[in-house]
Amino acid sequence: MANHLLNITRTLSKLTINTKYRLSNTIIRLERDLPTQPLFSNSTRNTNFFNKLPAEDLWKGITSVSNAGKKRGRGKTVSRKNIKDLNKGQIIGVGKANMIWPGLTTPIIRGKEIVEQQQLPEDPEREKKLNMLRDKMGTFRYAKLSPIERGWSGAKMPGRSIGPPDPVGEDTFEGFDSKVLELKTVFNMKGNFGRKRRVSATVVTGNKNGLAGFAMGKGIEPRTAMRKAKNRSGQKLIHVKIFRNHTVFHDFFTQFGATKIFVSQKPEGYGLVCHRAIRTICEVVGIKDLYAKVEGSTNLNHIIKAFFLGLVKQKTHEEIAEEKSLHLVEFCKENGYFPTVLASPTKCKTEEEIKKDEILDFTQYCFDGRVILKKKKYPPFYANYRSYYIYLKKQEKLRNKQQVKMDLIAEYGEIRSFLTEKYPECRPSRRPKKEEQEESND
Amino acid sequence: MAAFTHFSRKLLLNSLKLDVRPQINNKCMICVRLLSYSPKEYDGNPDPGPIFMKNEVQHLLKTLTRIDLAKVFRKRKLGNKQLEQPTYKFMTDAQLEEALNEVKKKVDKIIQIPPVVSVRKPINRILSRDSALQGLDTSNFVFTDVTFGVHNSERIIVVRDTNGTLKEADWELRDRINQIYFPVKHRSIKIPKMFQESYFENVLNKREYVFILDRACLQFEPNDALYQKIISITYQHINDNNEFDVLRSTRHFGSFAFFLAWHKMIDNLLLDLIETEHIDEANALIELYSQIHKVKLQSDGNLRLLEEYIKNFSNKQGALELALQAYKNTVKQREELEAGIKKAHGHS
Repeated sequence: MANHLLNITRTLSKLTINTKYRLSNTIIRLERDLPTQPLFSNSTRNTNFFNKLPAEDLWKGITSVSNAGKKRGRGKTVSRKNIKDLNKGQIIGVGKANMIWPGLTTPIIRGKEIVEQQQLPEDPEREKKLNMLRDKMGTFRYAKLSPIERGWSGAKMPGRSIGPPDPVGEDTFEGFDSKVLELKTVFNMKGNFGRKRRVSATVVTGNKNGLAGFAMGKGIEPRTAMRKAKNRSGQKLIHVKIFRNHTVFHDFFTQFGATKIFVSQKPEGYGLVCHRAIRTICEVVGIKDLYAKVEGSTNLNHIIKAFFLGLVKQKTHEEIAEEKSLHLVEFCKENGYFPTVLASPTKCKTEEEIKKDEILDFTQYCFDGRVILKKKKYPPFYANYRSYYIYLKKQEKLRNKQQVKMDLIAEYGEIRSFLTEKYPECRPSRRPKKEEQEESND
Repeated sequence: MAAFTHFSRKLLLNSLKLDVRPQINNKCMICVRLLSYSPKEYDGNPDPGPIFMKNEVQHLLKTLTRIDLAKVFRKRKLGNKQLEQPTYKFMTDAQLEEALNEVKKKVDKIIQIPPVVSVRKPINRILSRDSALQGLDTSNFVFTDVTFGVHNSERIIVVRDTNGTLKEADWELRDRINQIYFPVKHRSIKIPKMFQESYFENVLNKREYVFILDRACLQFEPNDALYQKIISITYQHINDNNEFDVLRSTRHFGSFAFFLAWHKMIDNLLLDLIETEHIDEANALIELYSQIHKVKLQSDGNLRLLEEYIKNFSNKQGALELALQAYKNTVKQREELEAGIKKAHGHS
């Protein structure tokens, strides 16, 4: 633009001052100099929206919502996290045109020579690097959880451990661990406040040795809700009896509302086969082996309450023996069905004293006369297929394969055939490990 | 008799050629050098069998076993992947007693003492030499009488060698052939690796005595030389480490005590019995010693018998006498204390 104006003034001045020259000449020259440019064009301005405001304000415009807008539910995807610092990675003097500016990007004197200003060929990597740097910004990733620390599902809180409750005065919760059972948003509607959002957390805490408690806490933030729940659960501890330090004392039935739970005692090594909430409670209480079947409603709070009720209502073997006035005797296959007396009453009944309608079956006694519905297990749909019959026939000859393999490995240290001694190639082919493969390639 | 012979060429090709040699090597390894113990077999000179089977001896051995029902019916690993859920029963006094009696009947079977017999003599009987059959085949032929009802030890098993000799199979081959045709459950055709020297020492040092003895009982016949070597070394190890409690209430204590008495090594056990104040058992042990070695001990009564043994036959006289004296002192002190208590209560 300025250049244009300068040209015009130059020609005008020539017109006025140097009258000696012929007019036609100048006009021709002018036409030759500026063949395409019109004499007077529309003026353009260099100020605009983008260079009038600082970057901070520009970003704010697209990453925030007004308070009124937020109430109406606008701007759900915008967040301050999306702000990118476009100056990052940029250096003064280095740009798209790959220029050497002595004194700015390079030293003025290199060796004995003075460095000259010059343009180098364009660097295609620079743009890519800048874009990569910008892409990285605004996408924050959480640190990966170890499988032990993970909860029931994904990165969600339920099932995850949040440490012992905070100490109250001198009472420290040593050896305790808390686990989140539920974390959900709840709303409260009021005439004057409108809809108010909070987070509700249910947490169970325990010392893995028969002492446990659970509580619910609410807060604006999940963290505060969990902290409240954790600390409250530490104040509501219940003592739970654990049989031989690994399972419940006996089978029992327990109910809260429409939630019914049948719990069975299990031998060591069985594990926790039950609803995930019950499993988490057991982990915290210190129960290692148990089977539980939840019937009816699976409302989480009801499950927790029903299970805790059942645990608390357990009777010790002494109490049972005393109540029945009979010896309680254990028969176990592992010790040859030797009658191990678990508990004896102070005065034992004789056979005549036992009433005819008295429940003498231990399981029946534990379930209080209730009977668990055990559905008949039907054979799978493919049991009568011809293809399954063929499959079984093919599998028949492989039935001892695993054992034979183990025996061979124990005997010879490898899987081999009776021909291997004579023909060393009679060995199962083994794919070489990755490292070996690379070595052989090298 | 409907005896029929069965030749098993494949068996020989596969198992005899490949396995017998390493087995012999293993055996040699065991007999040459095992720990610092030398194996002590019952070499049949005299034969321990008749003495062992005597009723009085059996009774003494049972006394020494000191049966504790809780240990006899201890929890065992049955090899199942999962333990079985125990059952619970309500019982009256009478029912409980009946159940206990029922179980006690099983005790005799569970702790039946493995027989003590002398080592079997090697078989070297050649039936015929047919040099015409020399070089007929590259491998031996084994002919086995698989008639039903014949005892394994009396089964006819003969081998035709490649050089044409027909001879009776040796014990090792007999054991393997018997195991192939009439398998004993959990007994393996090859000798388990744990009985090889390097492994065996390890197992011994882990004090897995009952495991060793159980497995040896299962794997071998009682008159097998290898069996007697293994158990004799185990017994000596137990004796040196004073681990008598491990064997008590198991079926092995009887044969262990018999072994010690037979080889005149009862001093450690006697010391242990005196220290734990089991004088009856100590007397039983000395009685066993005298029965085996036909020694006449004149004295009777509790401690005099012990004193006589210690004086005349023991190798650890000092230690035993001290222990006996300590026992006498404690008994005396206890009597005094009881008398004092009685006096304090006014019972004169």
